[in-house]
Amino acid sequence: MAEKKRLKDLSFWQKIYIPEIINGLGITLSNMFKPSFTMEYPEVKFEPPASYRGRPVLALEENGEERCVACGLCSRVCPALAIEVQAGETDREKERYPEKFEINMLRCIFCGFCEEVCPEEAIIMSKDYELAFTNREDAIYGKEKLFVPVSQLQDRIQFLRERK
Amino acid sequence: MEILQIAVITLVKILIVVTLMLLTVSYLVYFERKISAWAQNRVGPNRVGPAGLLQPFADVFKLLLKEDIVPFAATKSIHTLAPMLALFVAFTTYAVIPIGPSVEIFGYKVDLVVADVNMGILYILALTSVGVYAITFSGWSSGSKYSLLGGVRSSAQMISYEISMGFSIAGVLLFAESLRPVAIVNAQSGLMWNAFVQPIGFITFVVAAFAETNRLPFDLPEAEPELVGGYHTEYSSMKFAGFFLAEYANMIIASAMIITLYLGGWQVPYIEKLGLPDYAVVLIQVTAFFVKMGVLLFFIIWVRWSLPRFRYDQLMDLGWKVMFPLSLLNLIWVAILIMIMN
Amino acid sequence: MSSFILDGKQIEFKQGQTIIQAAADHGIDIPHFCWHPSLSISGNCRVCLVEVERMPKLVIACSTLAAEGMVVHTNSEKTLAARNAVMEFILINHPLDCPICDEAGECKLQDYAYQHSVGESRFTEEKMHKDKRVELGPHVMFDGERCISCSRCIRFCDEIAGEPQLTFVQRGDRVTIVTYPGKELDNPYSLNVTDICPVGALTNRDFRFKARVWDMSSTKSVCSGCARGCNTDIWVRSNEILRLTPRHNEEVNSYWMCDEGRLNTFKHVNSESRVSGPQIKRDGKLNKSNWDEAYAAAFGELKSYTKDEIAFIGSAASTCEDNYILAKFAKTVIGAKHIDFPRHIKAGDQDNILIREDKTPNALGAELAGIRPAADGLTFHAIMKAVDEGRIKALYVVEEDLVGLNPAYKETLRKLELLIVHASNYNETTELANIIFPAATYAEKNGTWVNFQGRIQRIRPAVTTIEGDRSLDNLAMSRLDKFGTEFDRWGNVKKMDARPVWKIISGLANTQSGKFRYSTSEDVFNELVKSVPDFSGLDYDVIGEKGAALKKFVNTKTV
Repeated sequence: MAEKKRLKDLSFWQKIYIPEIINGLGITLSNMFKPSFTMEYPEVKFEPPASYRGRPVLALEENGEERCVACGLCSRVCPALAIEVQAGETDREKERYPEKFEINMLRCIFCGFCEEVCPEEAIIMSKDYELAFTNREDAIYGKEKLFVPVSQLQDRIQFLRERK
Repeated sequence: MEILQIAVITLVKILIVVTLMLLTVSYLVYFERKISAWAQNRVGPNRVGPAGLLQPFADVFKLLLKEDIVPFAATKSIHTLAPMLALFVAFTTYAVIPIGPSVEIFGYKVDLVVADVNMGILYILALTSVGVYAITFSGWSSGSKYSLLGGVRSSAQMISYEISMGFSIAGVLLFAESLRPVAIVNAQSGLMWNAFVQPIGFITFVVAAFAETNRLPFDLPEAEPELVGGYHTEYSSMKFAGFFLAEYANMIIASAMIITLYLGGWQVPYIEKLGLPDYAVVLIQVTAFFVKMGVLLFFIIWVRWSLPRFRYDQLMDLGWKVMFPLSLLNLIWVAILIMIMN
Repeated sequence: MSSFILDGKQIEFKQGQTIIQAAADHGIDIPHFCWHPSLSISGNCRVCLVEVERMPKLVIACSTLAAEGMVVHTNSEKTLAARNAVMEFILINHPLDCPICDEAGECKLQDYAYQHSVGESRFTEEKMHKDKRVELGPHVMFDGERCISCSRCIRFCDEIAGEPQLTFVQRGDRVTIVTYPGKELDNPYSLNVTDICPVGALTNRDFRFKARVWDMSSTKSVCSGCARGCNTDIWVRSNEILRLTPRHNEEVNSYWMCDEGRLNTFKHVNSESRVSGPQIKRDGKLNKSNWDEAYAAAFGELKSYTKDEIAFIGSAASTCEDNYILAKFAKTVIGAKHIDFPRHIKAGDQDNILIREDKTPNALGAELAGIRPAADGLTFHAIMKAVDEGRIKALYVVEEDLVGLNPAYKETLRKLELLIVHASNYNETTELANIIFPAATYAEKNGTWVNFQGRIQRIRPAVTTIEGDRSLDNLAMSRLDKFGTEFDRWGNVKKMDARPVWKIISGLANTQSGKFRYSTSEDVFNELVKSVPDFSGLDYDVIGEKGAALKKFVNTKTV
């Protein structure tokens, strides 16, 4: 391994700074002509990869039925207590459905535990990262905001099946 | 020429210079941000107006609308005086910088300098030294340890670097045998630019100019990581803007000084040999002055985004142990040159 | 006493005890589904198989009698293998629908599957399909697929409820439970089968899907439905009672409670008709007022009558503490002699299991605490007659709906000049009241009740009032209670502005004298113990979780 260079080991040219300064100036100058990394957000949007954990959503089957059976495991496992589920009874084969399903996005920490624990593959972390609200009430997402057709979530579901 | 004419012409010149300065300063801020963005592979301001060109106005509006906060422990009068002083110095210095030779306009002979003063260089040195007071005052009057440290550092730094600056200028003056900026420029005709004749002096002067304007790598009075904002920590609204503008105005002064003293002022080498009409020559020369200034300003900004800040002891070492001897060396070199040429 | 060795531990047993019972008496739990301490032995689930040295095969702990010198292993290799095998067998046809199943969280099968099972199934065939969602009776829902055929429910109906209504039909893996033809599971104790069902096959239709068990807190209390005073647990989520379950107390109710008590004694607590905040009638309309104003008004009104014109009605639904304070106030502050409480006897509605004729939980306690007329005072019926005749002009009624008791009283009460009522809910009596004090229900206060056996039992607050705080008042806390804030919809719970009777009457008395200095119901009880000899030697700690018999009744066994 090469000896670590110390101040006293600097060469004469390094000691007089000037060539090094010119060197440094050269680096910044060359960078000025490279393309920028900036993604100009509202116009250009970040398309997250499948591993991204955006806001949790509930999968809605093709026939419009909800996958969720309101077992409450997501609510139980949620470390931030963001999820509130109230079950109800239906006549469908799965006799239990979420009468109320609310995620408080102010509490949610996007850990993905709910998705991991879900026995029905019903709660999925979407790619949606645009979450802005102006009051506490708006931050509580009810069923109308949570249900998303399962076709839009295939990317993530595929990822989960490979990795889980 | 009547007194009245002189007064009117001078007033017009002042007006033009001040307007030009203000515009340049505000766009200098814009370019500072743009160049820093390019150096860091970013985009920079691009939201206000096309390509962000109205950004400076947005900045000024923002600062105007801010609340003017004066710390409880501040000495109010001096706290208010400091930014005014800074601005005053920055703008008045420009009076003696010539941007071109004398021209005839509507039959009047007009010097392209606000005041062609005999001891213009002394005037500049004097005023920039007053500029130190602005910073010292603000540091002392804010009633904040950060400001105070910034102010103290600033005065020490300015005094240290003024010495090497003074000796570098002495070399120039020896050559020009005059304190008149116009005479200094005229002494650099052809390729006899002082930058070529006395390169050591040129370098020491440029470094000292950086130090005098508090620009990186010598921005210790501000030093955000250690002093929060240095002498202007406790300033807000337009008072802060005053310091801000003064800093950029000082950059312009510094580059104008460098041009005048070392880069031949408005001179373009051997232009007289092309046989162009007078007005064209003047136009080219004035343009040349501004091109030189643009290049220098870019250089100053470029340096800021390339080099790290000195440590305080390094700064003092450099000032006293390197710059001071070097400028003395330059003086000796000039003296030898004069001996040989005569 | 004889003893045997269980996993290297000396266990004493009574002659005739089974291994599992002897172990249970020593706090050792041998896994079991079909065995229940109060039911006959069936021995069909086989999960309690244990190894007994010098016996050729494993034996089931629930039906093998313990014998002197026996050496039993519950965790030997052989037992564990057998237990795994039994679990695997049971799980063959048990659906994997815990997410949907209401029993999840308190399911024996789920627990044992974690504790004693290998965690995977080798069964790849189609599971048996049976009837789901069968309404066995008015209160009980049956899911055939989840049933593991332990027969606890069948034995309960036969042996405890005394009405054989359920039976197995079919054989092998097709076995399922039905009601006898023409019958349904409608005995008055039917809901106990949902408690003893080790899986989610039998569920309470009233509670189905209301809440996950882990989201609720449970508070040890006593049923208010009749003089039996069955020990119960009150299950609460977000300050709302969702269900009651029986709590084991061999002296009172064993493991059981009746459906009436389970379903109909808590709904008024969550009801919309609750009185919140004191109400004063002005110009024929009730207006909400603050407590101090209501105290002053009530006291001022009472003072404007002579003591013979005032009568006090206590309640057998109130606690001993409440009745004691009421009696003390009536006798010492007002000097009234007409004080009594109405009896709620539903003649004939009694059996020799749990249900009693007297539909109040504290008739004995109210009387002992002092709710009885003075020597020249009037009894309840005489008071009402005196009201009717105009001799009594002011009536102070605590937690009794007199009009609900007898509609004829509506006219009687109209004749009053002043009617002050403590009520938890609006009813026909409160309509006539001049001042209403909102009363905390039994689920919102501390106190004691004396059941018909003379056994004094504690009730504890499960629901908090507006003045309360779950954590400061030491109430049972679920996870939601611990971490909820006012900004969570589930944390922003409904709380009533109501107080227990002893507190209201103390406040009333203190508007003048300031001598009713009690900060908790325990203070009141301690004074009651000192002044009423029947209660001597008692305090809240002595009563504990399972109650204590009052001295007078120690030897009168009435179970």
